[in-house]
Amino acid sequence: MNAGTIPTKKGGIPPEANNVLNQIENRKTLYRRKMIIAFIVLGLLLVATLMVIKLDFKFMLKWLPFVLAGSGFTFLVAFLAIALACFLAVIGALGRMSKNPFLNSFATSYVSLIRGTPLLVQVYMWYLALPQIGKALEDLGIEGIQSLVTLPAVPAGILALGVCYGAYMTETVRAGIQSIKLGQTEAAKALGMTEAQTMKRVIFPQALRVIIPPVSNEFIAMIKDSSLVSLMGVWELSYRAIKVGRRHFQSLEMLIMVALIYWAMCILLQYAQEKLEAYMARGDRRT
Amino acid sequence: MKKKSNPMVKVTNIHKVFGKKLHVLRGIDLEVNKGETVVILGASGSGKSTLLRCINFLEEPTAGTVEVDNIAVTAGGDDKNRTSQILDIRKKTGMCFQAFNLFPHMTVLENVIEGPVTVLGQRKQEAVLYAQELLDWVGLTEKRDEYPSRLSGGQQQRVAISRSLAMKPKVMLFDEPTSALDPELVGEVVEVMERLAKEGMTIIAVTHELHFARDVADRVLIMDHGNWIEEGTPEKIFNNPENKRTKQFLAHIL
Repeated sequence: MNAGTIPTKKGGIPPEANNVLNQIENRKTLYRRKMIIAFIVLGLLLVATLMVIKLDFKFMLKWLPFVLAGSGFTFLVAFLAIALACFLAVIGALGRMSKNPFLNSFATSYVSLIRGTPLLVQVYMWYLALPQIGKALEDLGIEGIQSLVTLPAVPAGILALGVCYGAYMTETVRAGIQSIKLGQTEAAKALGMTEAQTMKRVIFPQALRVIIPPVSNEFIAMIKDSSLVSLMGVWELSYRAIKVGRRHFQSLEMLIMVALIYWAMCILLQYAQEKLEAYMARGDRRT
Repeated sequence: MKKKSNPMVKVTNIHKVFGKKLHVLRGIDLEVNKGETVVILGASGSGKSTLLRCINFLEEPTAGTVEVDNIAVTAGGDDKNRTSQILDIRKKTGMCFQAFNLFPHMTVLENVIEGPVTVLGQRKQEAVLYAQELLDWVGLTEKRDEYPSRLSGGQQQRVAISRSLAMKPKVMLFDEPTSALDPELVGEVVEVMERLAKEGMTIIAVTHELHFARDVADRVLIMDHGNWIEEGTPEKIFNNPENKRTKQFLAHIL
């Protein structure tokens, strides 16, 4: 070798490095296997517990179709209520950020009032108290208002849930919008966009990405809170299960069953959320 | 009849006060003629960027008048007409930012057609044709369907320039367009700016790229504490500065 030149090393990855790489790979596989085993053990434990407490599986199977028939109501209420909530949340968030003092204070009061009172009270408010307000207004001379605001159980439930979740989601949407860097607004303005165009084309699509995980969270909570409409005698999932359980003195079976049904629904939603997030992340750097 | 052509950009006695006390611009005047390239130099915090941002009203001037291509807007007015005049000024003014600010949820092509389609109401096909020409002009044809996050800083800034040019602006404002770039990527952006100047675009640039200031600018202005302290051709400013603070500043960056 000539003095003064730096020797170049030839060849690929040395064998000892390959050993380390293999070790890392093995550790990952091992972890994955252990994870699967842990889930199986947990599942077996669950089944064993159900056996030990002598669940009447025959009974459960017999009433499964009847209870499942209530899932239609659950989905109907949850989907319509979440749609209403999303709509209110966008309006609410724009109101909360508005420079118009009237809109701003209106949105702020909405969020404060609704978040500050129990959902249970709100449900009864829409269902039982609203007709009374209607009567008072009718006495003041507004024709036909009472029958208009005397709501059947399902619409009352949808309104109650939608308005309530809309208040919580207002803050989610606002946080999402405000998380977008100022430079984006400036770039849009510099192109000559109006404020509405900036929001619609630049800010909101990016904010949507940020708010999808928390909104999915709300949706999952909503599926379960939809059971509150049972308070008004709607034959949805949980109402059916509780009724049957009480009548046959087998509440345990029915409660476990309805819990599993809710769980399955939520797992489905979670899966949908993952797909949606993956789609929204399309502009990200792939690592 | 002799007709004197108005300057493309005319800034008259602009003041900018942040909060109640921070007096950043102290009565700035500036006239830039059509096709002229002007470079603004000055220490950081001297008000260069604020001046640029006052020209397209990203920053509301506290006093004074801005005129771009014969649309004049005075500070502090409040009529409805004014809002649309500001939008008109922005449509005639392209701006490139230090941080590029490309829209990350859109592809390169979508970024470039966004202005023409949303703001000018052009048909999409028409906008795409021109966008492709522009991308070709900045050498990024093959990146048209990539998202900005997959591009280098230099490529992103060249897309940002195309995005501004798609609006067919009368003036381009460059706010330290190369300051966020790795040194080896600066050249490709400066080269695009240079070609733009040669094609007759009116340019106002805040930049520390001395090569650009020296070789491309028609005029160099030095700002200090919200005032001009010196103005002249690049030869005069770089070889023969008169002001003491100019000399100090140049000694720092040369």
